[in-house]
Amino acid sequence: MKTLGRGKDSLAAYLFLLPAILGLVFYTFIPILGVIGISLTDWTGLKPPVFVGLGNFREIFTEDIFFPHSVTSTLYFAFFTVITGTVYSFAVATLLNQRIGGRGVLRSVFFLPYVVPVIGAAIVWAWMFESNFGVINYGLNLVGLNKVKWLGDELTATPALGIMSVWGFGNFIVIYLAGLQGIPRTYLEAVDIDGGNAWHKFRHVTLPLLSPVILFNVLMSIVVNLQVFVPALSITRGAPNSSTLYMVYFVFREGFQNNRFGYASALSLIFFAFIAVVTAVIYVTSRKWMFFEGE
Amino acid sequence: MKSRVQYNAALTAVVALIGLACIFPFFWMLRSSFMGNIDIYQYPPVLLPKVWKFENYPAALTIFPFGRYFLNTLTITLPSVFGVLLTSTMAAYALARLDFPFKKGMFALVIGSMLMPGTVTIIPIFKMWTTVHLGSGYIPLIVPAFLGGGAFNIFLCRQFLMTIPRDLDEAARIDGAGKVRTLVRILLPLIKPVLISIGLFTFIIYWNDVLGPLIYVNRNEMNTISQGLANFRAGYGTDYRAIMAASCMSVAPAVALYFIGQKYFIEGIVMSGLKA
Repeated sequence: MKTLGRGKDSLAAYLFLLPAILGLVFYTFIPILGVIGISLTDWTGLKPPVFVGLGNFREIFTEDIFFPHSVTSTLYFAFFTVITGTVYSFAVATLLNQRIGGRGVLRSVFFLPYVVPVIGAAIVWAWMFESNFGVINYGLNLVGLNKVKWLGDELTATPALGIMSVWGFGNFIVIYLAGLQGIPRTYLEAVDIDGGNAWHKFRHVTLPLLSPVILFNVLMSIVVNLQVFVPALSITRGAPNSSTLYMVYFVFREGFQNNRFGYASALSLIFFAFIAVVTAVIYVTSRKWMFFEGE
Repeated sequence: MKSRVQYNAALTAVVALIGLACIFPFFWMLRSSFMGNIDIYQYPPVLLPKVWKFENYPAALTIFPFGRYFLNTLTITLPSVFGVLLTSTMAAYALARLDFPFKKGMFALVIGSMLMPGTVTIIPIFKMWTTVHLGSGYIPLIVPAFLGGGAFNIFLCRQFLMTIPRDLDEAARIDGAGKVRTLVRILLPLIKPVLISIGLFTFIIYWNDVLGPLIYVNRNEMNTISQGLANFRAGYGTDYRAIMAASCMSVAPAVALYFIGQKYFIEGIVMSGLKA
């Protein structure tokens, strides 16, 4: 009787799982094999593909002048946004966690940019960053600073796009605020009793308790920001001088605009390895720079 | 005590200031959408239009058919939200409640697929769709929603189903309810807040998607809002008043949805960031 019940259960279970299994097969397994296969060809979508072995990879590493740009610009963008984004969202969450008025309204305000279409946001930010008429340079002038070329300069284009992206990090503010609110009051009072100050509370209670949450969110945002695409597509188109030629945009350009699907597949495999390595390095070294309890 | 009050007032002022900076881009977009191009290019910039140009909107609409794009985007988004909710709860139910061979392996595969960056597989997936002659249109955008609805959503639903006592399933079984009925009538109503959050986030993700439509939607009259806006900007790069009006229209539905479902958005984010 029991085996019969289990057998029925198994059939039902696999029926319930059928869509997800099809998803794994058609949207993960076959595409992974596919991207490897296509990367070994010169497929353009126009004529039958020819096997070229590792030719695409050789070209990427030895001849492609854009590839080094796309690696450095992607790293620049990801680290800029993750570091400033983490500091910004943690700082705002900490402020919101004080006894201030209108906390609910403010939380909504900070979260709002997260839900708006990136293209719409990108358009107004590009206009705000405009170097001659833009309101951001006007603000800099007001406080006595010189105008910055922002999107027109190799060094500042990525930070400009990065600031726009960090603006959309409202989700992290909400997460950190919830984490802060979950810290037992007694822990903080214990620091008071021992004569500690606000810094001691932060360093020895808040940070250790929230480290797992911070690590999880840093990893998530690294993976998301290494795949930055829309700002490059809608604002800079990789310019100036390929300084915003982020990898996904590069793959998109080679694949869907230049019809070099074989080449773009090779790029996206390298890109996959790149994401995996960066994420693994951050995860493995996190023990060293994160503050876990009891260390 | 007085210093405490002052301290809190100062803190509130600081946060409010950062908050103002945060909504400034929205204000700037809206204010620019009612200006003439001469006003927009004023330097130093002016805060509000000298002359309010309400005709910017009808002017933008002649080249940016917002209503059409809105319906197109909805045509992709609504079925996708349904598909995600349907298939992710199905998978989650099996993983949370049923006993079957290779269960641990299945769970590991589903979770493992979360680590796969979606952008790596776009080319072979595009190749598959073109092979079956469906490379152009909405089908490739909607179908993935019906294939499990995303590993993260499955995981989230499973975690919440696990917290519901199995006695309820047992009681339903004794009353003669099958698995589908138990899931739909007993379990899903109990995790309704999670489902609403997943539904809203799925809506926003599909609504704001750019890469998918860019690959699969070629005809102008089938464009989504984001895609139409990107094309509009590419085509009318310096006509800022029209672009700002179009941007305002594009941003408005997401903002409206956010204010309607705010509570669930916030809860959903907290769930995904803290409990996962």
